[in-house]
Amino acid sequence: MKKKIFSILVVLVMVFSLVACGNATVSTSGSAEEGGQKAETFELALVTDLGTIDDKSFNQGAWEGLTKYAKEKGISYKYYQPQEAGTNAYIKTIQLAIEGGAKLVVCPGYLFEEPVYEVQERYPDVRFILLDGEPHNADYSSYKTGNNVMAILYQEDQAGFLAGYAAVKDGNTNLGFMGGMAVPAVVRFGFGYLQGIDAAAKELGVNCNVMYNYTGGFAATPEAQNMAASWYANGTEVIFGCGGAVGNSVMSAAESKNKQENSFVAKVIGVDVDQYSESDTVITSAMKQLANSVYTGINAFYNGNFPGGTTTTFNVKNDGVGAAMEHAKFNTFSQADYDKVYTDLLDGKYTISNSTENTNPNEALTNLTNTNVTYVE
Amino acid sequence: MNILYFLIQQTMLFTIPLLITALGGMFSERSGIVNIALEGIMTMGAFTSILFLHFTEGFLSGNLQLIIACIIAVVTGIVFSVFHAIAAINLKADQTISGTALNMFAPAFAIFVARIIQGVQQVQFANTFLISNVPVLSDIPVIGSMFFKNAYITTYIGIVILIISSIVLYKTKFGLRLRACGEFPQAADAAGINVYFMQYMGVIISGALAGLGGLVFVVPTSTNFNATVSGYGFLALAVLIFGQWKPKYILLASLFFGFMKAVSSGYSGIPVLLSLNISQYIYKMVPYIATVIVLIFTSKNSSAPKASGIPFDKGKR
Repeated sequence: MKKKIFSILVVLVMVFSLVACGNATVSTSGSAEEGGQKAETFELALVTDLGTIDDKSFNQGAWEGLTKYAKEKGISYKYYQPQEAGTNAYIKTIQLAIEGGAKLVVCPGYLFEEPVYEVQERYPDVRFILLDGEPHNADYSSYKTGNNVMAILYQEDQAGFLAGYAAVKDGNTNLGFMGGMAVPAVVRFGFGYLQGIDAAAKELGVNCNVMYNYTGGFAATPEAQNMAASWYANGTEVIFGCGGAVGNSVMSAAESKNKQENSFVAKVIGVDVDQYSESDTVITSAMKQLANSVYTGINAFYNGNFPGGTTTTFNVKNDGVGAAMEHAKFNTFSQADYDKVYTDLLDGKYTISNSTENTNPNEALTNLTNTNVTYVE
Repeated sequence: MNILYFLIQQTMLFTIPLLITALGGMFSERSGIVNIALEGIMTMGAFTSILFLHFTEGFLSGNLQLIIACIIAVVTGIVFSVFHAIAAINLKADQTISGTALNMFAPAFAIFVARIIQGVQQVQFANTFLISNVPVLSDIPVIGSMFFKNAYITTYIGIVILIISSIVLYKTKFGLRLRACGEFPQAADAAGINVYFMQYMGVIISGALAGLGGLVFVVPTSTNFNATVSGYGFLALAVLIFGQWKPKYILLASLFFGFMKAVSSGYSGIPVLLSLNISQYIYKMVPYIATVIVLIFTSKNSSAPKASGIPFDKGKR
C-alpha cells in the first residue's frame, strides 16, 4: 500500500513538473520580439539556428542588421526560433514565418543550407537570405541557388589576414592558431591569419613563430584548454581561437596565465563577431560583418535589385569582413594603422591565397618567408 | 624544470576530477550498485554550481564562492543520485538502464533550464579561483613548485577526499559493512546489517562526489558550461576499473590517465616532446590500451565487488 501511494505521488510530481515546464516553454516562445506596425503579419523574418537571438554570434549579428533596416524604414519584423535542431524543424519554422506574412526570410548559418534548398522551390514568391552557405541537398550531390535566394559567403581569409597583421604590428612574434574542425571557413581564417602575420613580419623585418592546430571539434574541452595553456607556457603571446567554443578554452587558458604572471602576457583573438565581451583577454576579433551583409541584402530586395540565384561574397570591398577595432586592446596598433592596411588590402597590395584543398599550412602555403609554422597534427 | 612543473600542474587539472568521481563510483560499486550515471551526475552537479557562480558573480568571488559552489554541487549530486537509488534499490530495476536514463536526462535538463532562466544554453562564469602561490608551502623547493603553485583549492579537496575515503572504507565499521553488501548482501543481511540503507549510502556518496567532480572538472578548463563534461564520467568508470576498486590504485590510475591526457593535449607546447614527433593520437590511445591490457591480466581474479549490479533479494541464498 505504502508503495502504491508512493508511486502515485511520484507520478503526480512528474506530471506537475511537466505541466510547469510546458508553461515555461510557451512563455519563452511567446517572447519573440515584435516590432514595427501592430499588424498581424511580419514582412521581414529571421529564423534562428541552434542558438538564441542573443548568442553573440550568427543569430545576433544577422538580427542586428535586420532590425536596423526595419526600424529605419518602418517595416514589420519578427524572429522565429525552431523548437528543435534539424532540417525538418528548420523547414517547419521557415513555413511558420511565411505563414506569418514574411516576404523575406533571413537564415543565419550554414545549418540552413539544406532547409533553404528544400523550401526555395516551394515558395517562389518568398525571398531568402542565406548567410555563410549555399543551398544544397542532404548528400551534397546537388547545389542549386534559386532565383529567390541570395547566398552569402565571406572571405574569412581577409578577416584572418587583418587580425594576424594587426597582432604582429602590435609587437607580437610568437603566435598561435587553434581552429575547430578543418572545414573550409576555418582553414581560410587560419591561412589568412598566417599570411597576415607574414606580411607584417616582412614589413617589420622580424621573424615570427606560429603554432597551428585544428582541434577537430567546436567544443570547449579541457584538451583544448591544456593545449592553449602549454603554448602560452612555452612563450606564445597571442592565440587566435577560431572554432566556436574552442575560443572559450583559449580564453580560459589565457586568463589563468595572466593571473599567474600578474600581467597581460597571454592574449586572444576572437572570431566571427567582436568577442570582447566574453573575456578581457580578447585583443581583437576576426569578424564577419553579419549585420552589414544582411542590411545590404534587405536593402537590395526593397530596391528591386535582389541578387537572387547568385552567391554574393562579402569581403573588404563591401565592408563584409574586418578586424574588430572598437574594443581592441592593442598597445601601439592604431585605428589609422588599421585603416591603412585595410585600404592596402582593398587596393590589392596584398594577395592572399585561400585555397582550402590542403589543410596543412606548411604544404599549402609555401611562400611564407618570415614565418615559421609548427603544424600540430 | 619549468616544463616539468607545468606538466604536473596541468596533470592535476585532469587527475582531480577523475579521482573524485572514480572514488564516488567506488563507493557505489562497493555497496553493490553499479553507477554508470556518473556522467549525468557530473553534468548536473556542474550545472547547478556553475549557475550559482554565474548569478553570484560580482558580489562573491574567490575561494569562498568556490567552496559554496562545491557544496551546491554535492547537494545536487546527492539529490540526483537518489533517483538512481530508488530505481536500483527499491524498484530493483536494471541498474545499467536507470543509469543510462540519468545520463540522457542530465544534459537535456541542463540545456532546457539554462534556456528558460537566461535564454542562452551556455552558462558563463568568471574564474577567480586560481591560487598562484600557497603561502609558505610554495617556498619548499621542487615540491612547492609542483603542487603549491597555480593550483585550485579543489586539488587539495580531492586529496583530502582520497584520504578520508581510504579510512572510511578500510578502517571503519561503516566501510566494512558497505563492502560486505557489495560482496555478499544476503550474508550481510543475516548478520543484521540493513542492506538497503548501506546501498543507499553508497549511491548517495557516489552522487555527492560525482557532482563535485563535475564542478572541479569544468572550473579550470573553460569560461562557460555547455551542458557537457566531455565523457569524463565514463572515463572515471575506466579509472575505477583500472584502479581495481581500491583507493590507492584509483589514485595511481587517475594520475596515469591525467598525465597522459596532459601530455597528449599539451605536448605541442613542450619542445622536447614536440621534437619526438609522435602524433597526439598515440598519447591519447595509451591510457585505453593500458586499461585493456590490465583487464586482460586481472580479469581472472578481478577484484570487482561480487554482488555489484545484482539487485538485492533477501530470499535468495
